[in-house]
Amino acid sequence: MNLLSLENVSKIYHQGEIEVPALRGIDLEIEKGEFATVFGPSGSGKTTLLNVIGCLDKPTDGVIKFDGNNIANLDKSELAGIRRRNIGFVFQSYNLIPVLTAFENVEFAVKIIDHLTKDEIKERVLKMLSLVGLEGLEDRKPNELSGGQKQRVAIARALVKEPKLVLADEPSANLDSKTSEDVLEVMVKMNKELDTTFLFSTHDPLVMDYAKRKIEIKDGLISKDERREEVDVFN
Amino acid sequence: MFLIKLSLKNLLRHKRRTIITAAIIAWAIFFYITFDSFLLGMNDMVFQNIIDYEYGHVQVADQTYWDEKDELPLENLLVNNQSINQEITQIEGYQAHAGQLNFQVRLNDGVKETPVVGRGIDANQTLNVLDYEQYLKEGEFFKPGEYKAVLGQRLAEVMNLELGDYITLLTRTESDTFNTIDAEIGGIINTPNPSINQNVVFVPLDIVQDALNVDNKVTHYIIKLNNKNFRPNVISNFQNTIKTQNNNLNVYSWRDLDEVSITKSKQAGNTMILLIILTIAAIGIINIVILAALERMEEIGMMKALGLKEKEIIFTFVVESTGIGILGGIFGVILGAASVYYFSNFGIDFSLFVDIDMSTFGIPIVSEIYGVWNPWTFVYMFFFAIFGSMLASILPARWAAKKDPVDAIYRR
Repeated sequence: MNLLSLENVSKIYHQGEIEVPALRGIDLEIEKGEFATVFGPSGSGKTTLLNVIGCLDKPTDGVIKFDGNNIANLDKSELAGIRRRNIGFVFQSYNLIPVLTAFENVEFAVKIIDHLTKDEIKERVLKMLSLVGLEGLEDRKPNELSGGQKQRVAIARALVKEPKLVLADEPSANLDSKTSEDVLEVMVKMNKELDTTFLFSTHDPLVMDYAKRKIEIKDGLISKDERREEVDVFN
Repeated sequence: MFLIKLSLKNLLRHKRRTIITAAIIAWAIFFYITFDSFLLGMNDMVFQNIIDYEYGHVQVADQTYWDEKDELPLENLLVNNQSINQEITQIEGYQAHAGQLNFQVRLNDGVKETPVVGRGIDANQTLNVLDYEQYLKEGEFFKPGEYKAVLGQRLAEVMNLELGDYITLLTRTESDTFNTIDAEIGGIINTPNPSINQNVVFVPLDIVQDALNVDNKVTHYIIKLNNKNFRPNVISNFQNTIKTQNNNLNVYSWRDLDEVSITKSKQAGNTMILLIILTIAAIGIINIVILAALERMEEIGMMKALGLKEKEIIFTFVVESTGIGILGGIFGVILGAASVYYFSNFGIDFSLFVDIDMSTFGIPIVSEIYGVWNPWTFVYMFFFAIFGSMLASILPARWAAKKDPVDAIYRR
């Protein structure tokens, strides 16, 4: 079942009077539970694609269906509503709030969704921090955590609200290879346990090794879309 | 609640910056409260000076005379008879009254000459209304029929006159012929009202009436009531009563006097200056919000990615600024209270700092100025700090919240 489908999606930026096309008519379908990566050279349109899918940016043209609904023409407030409930983000620079503890950073994502009680929120946050391997570090502030630990907090924050889709933009860019591997293991675990759909953009061959689907993008167009049935980490 | 918690934690993120901004607000509030206290104190003293040493609480005069009173005319005078004196005693809260005769005069000591205001008074009656007696530095007030004068210490110094010296008062009669009054200086006063000290010569009423050829007439009556804060209908009721005597008579409260209006306009001007100071504090808030927004651009982007709406992001900044406003308000009010406590008890003598005669600026005060407690200023300023900080933060917060999420996340 498709979680996401893009039909002829284009995005054009304007630099003064010059038009810079970032996406030139992308057709793409992502199924629920996928663990996919978008890769390609710098400036190829990876991040723009993730931003458009993640409702952070609006396409210039085309149709984006999220869970069957066209979201391409929604206004800012409606897009914020979709992000709030359905999409988690992981960025390369973590973007944690420095005055909040690890617990509070994760709690933030779920606090703004109204339907949970205080106890439910606490239980869910602690469980998520435990799943990403941060048990016992809940009260630490970001400046008291290593890069890998910060990225784990960011992953927990993205997953705690149980989103349908997690978008990760270069999640390993600031991490050494060992830490990257640990973080990816966490994401694989989440994908397996929660059946959450993951979509990465990356240059990192390690991340690509973990992906069950590799989508190559060049000059704003999908040039290769490859599915792999056998990936060691998922077995 | 979580957003409020986040805002309060953000307050502590840059403690020094928060303290400095709160201190600017506190300083502005402290300054406003102190200055306001002095202005009120000064106003009270001005009003009290006017009441105690010049006008009393209420005056009765012919309406035409009142309009031209600064010219000191000898027209439209009032006959000082039993009936009007009886009528005046009927005013609510009556304590005392006296008829006075103001006239133009040139004070001559045989060498120098200076224009002053001559004031014919019945000393017995006038001292019941005005508080001169305790400020009599030398000599005493005259009795009716005595060719004696009392003048202010400043005028005596300027004219180099002493007790027992003789002066000549050159004046014009009602029929515009010249006349003189020769009088011995019987007393020298030094009241807290500088215009009395340097501009007025008091002479017995009967001597003046005789010299000006105005029979038993006065220019106006001054009346002392038991309380300066009498109700406005005291005047209107008395007005109706007094008009039965003479339809041209009018009743004037001390609140109607030009000096009071001038003082109030000065206060309005000073309030404007103080509002400018408070605007500077608001600029401090705007500055801190813009700085915070620039520093936290990636966080703002992340908040938007999490699904926070613009109004929720604005809310976090507004709560943070309001927190600074509350801190500044509390410190400002505490400092202001300490300052008003000190100045209302000990006052301040400006002459210790600068040799300024306040009367030069039209402020009839020569002694120390005391602050006055005005609780409403404290309440008003505290809420001004809170709402001012809140309002000042809305626009920059809106600017921050409207940032495109992609630009914010990637700091473009």
